[in-house]
Amino acid sequence: MSARPDLVLSLVELRSAIAATRFELEVPGADASETERDALVRQIEDYLLPRLRSLDAPLLAVVGGSTGAGKSTLVNSLVRAEVSSAGVLRPTTRAPVLVCNPADRHWFEDDRVLPGLARTTGVEAGPGTVHLVESTGLEPGLALLDAPDIDSVVSANRALAAQLLAAADLWIFVTTAARYADAVPWALLSAAAERRAEVAVVLDRTPPEAVEEISEDLRRLLADHGMAGALVRSIEESELEGGRLPESQVAPLRAWLAGLAGDAEERARVVRATLDGALSGMERTVGVLATASREQEQAAAALRAVATDAYADARGDVAVAMQDGTLLRGEVLARWQEFVGTGELMRSVQAKVGAVRDRAWAALTGRSTTAASVQEAVESGVEALVHAAADRAAGRTVSGWRDEAAGRALVRGRTRELAEASPVLLASLPDEVRAWQGQVLDLVREQGAGKRTSARIASYTLNGAGLAVMLVVFAHTGGLTGAEVAVAGGTSAASQKLIEAVFGDQAVRALARQARQDLLDRVEGLLGGEVQRFHALVDQAAPADGGHALREAVDGWRAARRAAQW
Amino acid sequence: MAAGEGVVPSPALEASHALVRRAGERLGHGIDHTVVALAGATGSGKSSLFNALAGVDLSAVGVRRPTTSTTHACWWGDDATPLLDWLEVSRRHHVTGGTDLDGLVLLDLPDHDSTALEHRAEVDRVVAVADVVVWVLDPQKYADRAVHERYLRPLAHHAGVLVVALHQADRLTGEQLEACRSDLAELLRTDGLDDVALLTTSVRHEAGVAALREVLVERVVARRSAIARLEADLDSLVVVLGETCGDGEPPRPDGGGRRQVLDALVEAAGVGLVTDAVAGSHRAAAVAATGWPATRWLRRLRPDPLRRLHLGAEGGAGRTSLPAPSAASTARVETAVRSLARSASEDLPLEWSDAVDAVARDRLGVLPARLDAAVASTDLDAGRRPRWWRAVGGLQLVLAVVAVVGGLWLAALAGLAYLQLGSLGTPDVGPLPVPTAMLVGGVVAGLLVAFVARLAAGVGARRRARRARVRLEAAVAAVASAEVCDPVDAVLARHQRFCESLAALAG
Repeated sequence: MSARPDLVLSLVELRSAIAATRFELEVPGADASETERDALVRQIEDYLLPRLRSLDAPLLAVVGGSTGAGKSTLVNSLVRAEVSSAGVLRPTTRAPVLVCNPADRHWFEDDRVLPGLARTTGVEAGPGTVHLVESTGLEPGLALLDAPDIDSVVSANRALAAQLLAAADLWIFVTTAARYADAVPWALLSAAAERRAEVAVVLDRTPPEAVEEISEDLRRLLADHGMAGALVRSIEESELEGGRLPESQVAPLRAWLAGLAGDAEERARVVRATLDGALSGMERTVGVLATASREQEQAAAALRAVATDAYADARGDVAVAMQDGTLLRGEVLARWQEFVGTGELMRSVQAKVGAVRDRAWAALTGRSTTAASVQEAVESGVEALVHAAADRAAGRTVSGWRDEAAGRALVRGRTRELAEASPVLLASLPDEVRAWQGQVLDLVREQGAGKRTSARIASYTLNGAGLAVMLVVFAHTGGLTGAEVAVAGGTSAASQKLIEAVFGDQAVRALARQARQDLLDRVEGLLGGEVQRFHALVDQAAPADGGHALREAVDGWRAARRAAQW
Repeated sequence: MAAGEGVVPSPALEASHALVRRAGERLGHGIDHTVVALAGATGSGKSSLFNALAGVDLSAVGVRRPTTSTTHACWWGDDATPLLDWLEVSRRHHVTGGTDLDGLVLLDLPDHDSTALEHRAEVDRVVAVADVVVWVLDPQKYADRAVHERYLRPLAHHAGVLVVALHQADRLTGEQLEACRSDLAELLRTDGLDDVALLTTSVRHEAGVAALREVLVERVVARRSAIARLEADLDSLVVVLGETCGDGEPPRPDGGGRRQVLDALVEAAGVGLVTDAVAGSHRAAAVAATGWPATRWLRRLRPDPLRRLHLGAEGGAGRTSLPAPSAASTARVETAVRSLARSASEDLPLEWSDAVDAVARDRLGVLPARLDAAVASTDLDAGRRPRWWRAVGGLQLVLAVVAVVGGLWLAALAGLAYLQLGSLGTPDVGPLPVPTAMLVGGVVAGLLVAFVARLAAGVGARRRARRARVRLEAAVAAVASAEVCDPVDAVLARHQRFCESLAALAG
């Protein structure tokens, strides 16, 4: 008997959606979400899908519990055979042992259930395997799985035990008189109760005189945890007979299991109850995961925003510095003053570009007073500005990220490298600035072509005119006060007048706007590359859709479940 | 520890303050008592062991779990009441009659692994302060994660403080016990507790607790446990704090970075502008003093460049009128400061390099004002006038007088000629008449002297500009030290002091 195939199909889709969900940003709880996702995917593969496909498969009873509770001894005693090794060293069982009647073997030997664990039939079972043992000590219709402990120092055991318990139709929970109040098992039992899984509790190693008292206390605890109906069986502490518990102690439990195996109706009820509970639990967990996924997306957006804001501010700083003329002050202006004041301009106005340059270089004496040095001053000024802005933005982004756990994890080990402008930027910055200067000269040439002014431009030399435009770019909006202009020698006004005489006022405005815009575009491109460094880090870790696919898949599943009237 | 304030993450610092406080309090109660805590899982048999050691049934032993819910104390010998008050243990029992356990304060703790969370909190509290912790494990639970991960591993530096007792040994045969014991020893090794005292105990046999009792007597008599516990705490604290210390060499002051910062600041301070103004002012003053008298007054109409910047002799320590540093030079200063901080803190752990970076950049905002003040208060030697100016000025005056006299003479001659009063003879100097020679010679010589003086003033102006530059750079360097380098050095020194005191503690 199988449930509706569309239900199975829908669950397969949901499984893929869950498996594809990522929680790689280290926001608080991300690790837990990852563990939960993996556990859920495993439960779907190990239990929900196989169970939905074949409702009439034998009942799988998982014997779980604390280390040293006597799980293996109990299983051996129940099937009257040495199927699982027991011992005094903790933890004893490291690979799970599955015991079934030979008639049921075909249900378990392929990867129908627990597909992630290879089957072994030899003596030694390694990690990642299930040891499959046939035994006629069990009736057909019920298989026992001896799970590793849930609470020892061996973490692989804990994970495996949790996986196996999630795949159980029935939990046989083994605890002892010394253990029954331990916190770890109760956390698992609470989860089982929440999922409405069928649980039977075996109270092992009970001193005979205390059976009544402890059983009563245990029932009270079970009731407190919402499992008032759970079956409790005590086994008295006694000498082992050939490594097994005395027959008198295990007989009632065995009889109960045999009864369950033989009663198809009761078996179906147990299967159905646990399956329903597990499906509801799965839906709840998916909801939690979807929320966590949204949190991831929000965290990623916040991190991206920190970087974006920092670099937007950096670009704004650069734009302001270029607009209010401050970049022009100091060195640039001083050079321009020398350039004009020494009469170099007038001479270069009449000479050709090459001749100017030759003369300029020839005139180089320590501190140069040539056209080339004006160009250098502008160039290094822009470079310094962009470099500092990029450094500042990188530093701000990194320190902003380090305030958040997720961001801290992303920059871990690379903090210093990320907190400054990237080598790529530093390498391409001079080229960009030079390319811009070339473009300004082209602009000047273009403006001149076909106009009456072209003759005049030719007489001023392109180089000088281009330089003047560059200076106008920085001073056009007139950030300089009259006093400062006077201090600087009144030269920016002069350069503007000069250039206006050549091109006309409107054309100069347009030229300056275009040149400034071009420079800003280039800066934006450079800073865009910088911010991309950070966005790429976030993109690597963050989910793109924020759990959207997950929510859709679970909606699809719910619809299928309703349609199947499950 | 004060050296690490504000830099080292605060939990570590709080832990160190707490340890100092606790050490004072614990030692204040003297070391005559040794506080031994029995800790373990529920059902491991702590209480039965406690009773066996005390020789009386003090702690309730039961089958219901968890049994013990509050800490019980039992003390031997001298009054331990203040100590127990400090330990906040209210259920106490005094064993009278001198025994070899005199001085022992034995505590029976609740379990740490049951569903009762308040028990765990109590265990955490007492385990953190007891002089000796006897961890009671039993064959069923000895490999529980709860005990190993939560308690034993964090106590890896406390091997001397811990005693591990494998209790209920009677449940196993001799062979099983041996296997169990060596398995436990292996687990403890994994926890980092290589040479912890490991005993097997049992309360079913008389001899079962003898070994433990012996160990306790030994510790009680030695009276070293309280100090050993604090030392162990200190050791693990030093390890935690050591992570913020780094293992690299102490960072060396970085000359190149400093030079870069200085260069950028010199530029931002407008030193070039000022030295140019100094030179210009010198030249202007020279011309005013030594120029050709006929035209030197023109110079006076032009403002003195230094005065225009509100600098110079009478400028004093006020604000200058230097333009604010350009965005580019501010950016250069910022980049230079950043790279200085970075290179100075390269080998330091992140906390410290953050601190270095923060102090280095902390003063960026006030630097322009400081630089301006530094430039304003630098003595530019502006008012000084070389003596030769006066001499040349005098010479110019004489030459001017000669020229004027010559001119007047010629004018007189011309007037006489105009009035047809006949001509007076003039003495000749060579081919020229004297008045002509006086006029022409005076003018030419005046212009010549003015030219030569201007050349000389140019040399003087350059020298003076150079001197001004040296002084200004020194002033800027002082600002760089005070605002950038010294704070960075201070943090580096704090780091070194912090690490040295840690090393002293560890040693």
